[in-house]
Amino acid sequence: MLARPARSAVLPALVLAVLSFTALSLTGCRGNEDKSGEATPTPTATAEKKPQRGGTAVVSWIAAPTGVNELIVPNTAITTEVVRQLFLRLVSEQPDFEEHPPTMAPQLAESFEFSPDHRILTFHLRKDVVWSDGVPVTADDVRFTWQAHTHPDVAWNSAYMKEKIKDVEVVDPHTVRFHFSEAYAKQILDVAEGGILPKHAWGKIPFPEWRENADWFLENLVVDGPFTVASWKPQEEVVLVRNERYYRKDRPYLDKVVIRSVPDAANQINQLVSGETDFLPQAQPGDMQRITADPRLRLIDYWFRTYVGVIWNLREPMFSDPEVRRALTLAIDRQTIVDTVFPAGTGRVGVSPIVQGVWAFDRTLKPLPYDPAEARRLLESRGWKDMNGDGVLDKDGKPFSFVLLSNAGNQQRIDGAVMIQDQLKKVGIRVEPRVVEFNSMISQATEGTFDALVFGFAIDTSLDMTAQFGSHATQEGNFGAYNSPEFDRLMLEAMAKPDIQDAKPILDRIQQLIHRDQPLTFLWESKRLSGANRRLHDVKPTVLFSLFNLEDWWVEQPAR
Amino acid sequence: MIRFILRRLGASLLLLYLVLSAVFFLVHLAPGTPEGLLVGDRRLPPEQQERLRRVYGLDRPLAVQYARWMTATLQGDWGTSFSLQVPVTQAIAGVLPATLLLAAAGLLAEQAMGLALGIAAARRPGSKVDHGIRVVSLLLSSQPIFWLGLVAMLLFTVVWPVLPAGHMRSVGWEDMPPGAQALDLLAHLILPGLILGLSTCGPLARYVRGSLLDVLGQEHIRASRARGLSERRVLWVHALRSSLGPMLQILASSASILLGGAVVAEVVFSWPGLGRLTFNAILGRDYPLILGTTAFSAVMILICTLAADILHALADPRVRERARGA
Repeated sequence: MLARPARSAVLPALVLAVLSFTALSLTGCRGNEDKSGEATPTPTATAEKKPQRGGTAVVSWIAAPTGVNELIVPNTAITTEVVRQLFLRLVSEQPDFEEHPPTMAPQLAESFEFSPDHRILTFHLRKDVVWSDGVPVTADDVRFTWQAHTHPDVAWNSAYMKEKIKDVEVVDPHTVRFHFSEAYAKQILDVAEGGILPKHAWGKIPFPEWRENADWFLENLVVDGPFTVASWKPQEEVVLVRNERYYRKDRPYLDKVVIRSVPDAANQINQLVSGETDFLPQAQPGDMQRITADPRLRLIDYWFRTYVGVIWNLREPMFSDPEVRRALTLAIDRQTIVDTVFPAGTGRVGVSPIVQGVWAFDRTLKPLPYDPAEARRLLESRGWKDMNGDGVLDKDGKPFSFVLLSNAGNQQRIDGAVMIQDQLKKVGIRVEPRVVEFNSMISQATEGTFDALVFGFAIDTSLDMTAQFGSHATQEGNFGAYNSPEFDRLMLEAMAKPDIQDAKPILDRIQQLIHRDQPLTFLWESKRLSGANRRLHDVKPTVLFSLFNLEDWWVEQPAR
Repeated sequence: MIRFILRRLGASLLLLYLVLSAVFFLVHLAPGTPEGLLVGDRRLPPEQQERLRRVYGLDRPLAVQYARWMTATLQGDWGTSFSLQVPVTQAIAGVLPATLLLAAAGLLAEQAMGLALGIAAARRPGSKVDHGIRVVSLLLSSQPIFWLGLVAMLLFTVVWPVLPAGHMRSVGWEDMPPGAQALDLLAHLILPGLILGLSTCGPLARYVRGSLLDVLGQEHIRASRARGLSERRVLWVHALRSSLGPMLQILASSASILLGGAVVAEVVFSWPGLGRLTFNAILGRDYPLILGTTAFSAVMILICTLAADILHALADPRVRERARGA
């Protein structure tokens, strides 16, 4: 679960390594965030122009895609982005989650309906979709894909999403039925995960041999998405070209999209400024000035569905008392931290695991105030007093002193940790900030051998927070071993509702519970910053995918 | 001489074995596992995780993994990369040309600048030029490559945009005529090659200066001067030739230093070579790939060092004598 990259928002909780380029190259947090298109500063300029066909766009990414068969290669963010351009999904999740659960737009399926008991989901497929070799896409491909997803020897990373799908029945070439073992909130999300694969082409290799033949799938690539692969240089660049048999005849506008891997963040921004790259999906906060100052570039920013906080290790006696954790939160001046590490309003103080831009956020919740006096009073009432006059609180002869971990390469978190050290010192708590390599931090986190750590999580569409707070999820994300039977029960209850909207009151109670118990101190939510060359139009990265609407992108002068 | 070479070869093989073993255990002892990469999601059923570990041989005790790996490596089977899902040998072969090209460019830049600075300094020892060169070469060799690289990149791609800011080729390289392809490659090579050369030319310049001054003080140079040869001819023909011999060793040993510097330069300049491959392998705990690239680099460096030793021995009989006596 940890180093797992963002899968199309169906993931319960995702360890986030946002802005940490080291971690990114292996976990590859995909995505972007809400308000996608609206944040584009100059809609008027682009709205007047008509899209043109042709041209090339260059996208730079910190890591390289790992392969075209996402079932058997490490599923990094960029791999998912590329595969999404090659294979259509039955339905495509939309980034409109601010007021209600996201809509599922038809893609390969033109419509779908649930049975009255919500345990059968029937899809009606488009009849005009063909594979790039001319063979029609049918219900057989859908069933084949499900078989591949769930085959033990294929061992797909996201196979767990399919575990409640008991069968996929081919009714006729263009009708397919998913049979579920039970009705639950994320049925449609579980079905939507993963592109539909070509049975007639990829079925030639038996599933148990898939993992030994990763190269074969590129050589035998057949697609039904907007793009196909023209060339693939591992670790260097992947060139996508228009799939001439794509069912939307007027899309994509671009002839070619070059995805280049640029491992160094400074090099990324330099390439955007020098014009060698047209789109940089994830710029560093420090790069913002360079993008906005350049008339040839456009800054696209949007709130990401992630939050960063301090995870307290509840196994340690000093953190086991909720009142003490509350005092810690009160003693940390989160607003000042946010104002310092996120310039120009690119961050805000966090308050709940369901971030503020999501429909299910409990709007009655307010961040605890910064109140060191109250913190000191609370600590004293729980027995923490400076007995020996060294400026550090003690209890039972032990000083209130701990190590705060953050990961190398993530400057915001490192700076935040240092500010926390300073702020907690004022209430008599000694903090030693320590920066460690990401893998090393994960080891300590999963083993539970840490005091406190600055960590980030993503909340996805399913709103399932089990991996972050579930009593048994100490390996997945609940590193501090928060143990609340009430949370476990409420979360199960919410996830069992066939319509997640009916779970809103339960989700509110969960958020209030977390707010009361403070298993972690919420520090911030932040924006994702993307940079685009102005010659590129209609670039609308979303929280789901940076290349969300790649088929709509167009360039003014197809010069390149 | 044969005996000398055999001795050296034996020592190199022993060293190689030690290096590989050390890397094997270091890599496995480092915190973090490749399971995140392999298993990805911890909610995979345990038996499925177990199956994956078995497929990749991670379920065995470390000692067994070590023995298997050593045997396979000796037989030329370097395993399959976890992250790339291709044989490690294939992954290395794929990036090798890029790294060799960069190392060659770096070597060329290093030799050219080292020689030029060294000669300039030796011509007027103690002069302002000599001191200036000493300061500059000290400064250059004490700058981290990534810093030099970023400064150069800012200067030549943003402030004065004349060179590409990374990668080995431009977009659309395949469609260019051969001449333009070569020029494009060259344009991409200039910055990383120059930076590599700049960061290593300092010691070479010092060496050239010292060795030249040494030679300039010798009898035959004095004789040449006495014969009335011009100072220019004395320096460029007679002195330089006698000091060039030992330079071959420097060349051979700096090849190995450049290989190390290339790792950083490749990451900074998005150069698709061995260094970047190693970098990504380490971040992803891709054990077979880390071991493969390290083994390969170790072999390359040992070959270079061996070559340097042999060249040294050829040039200087005392080295051979000492080896025999030892």
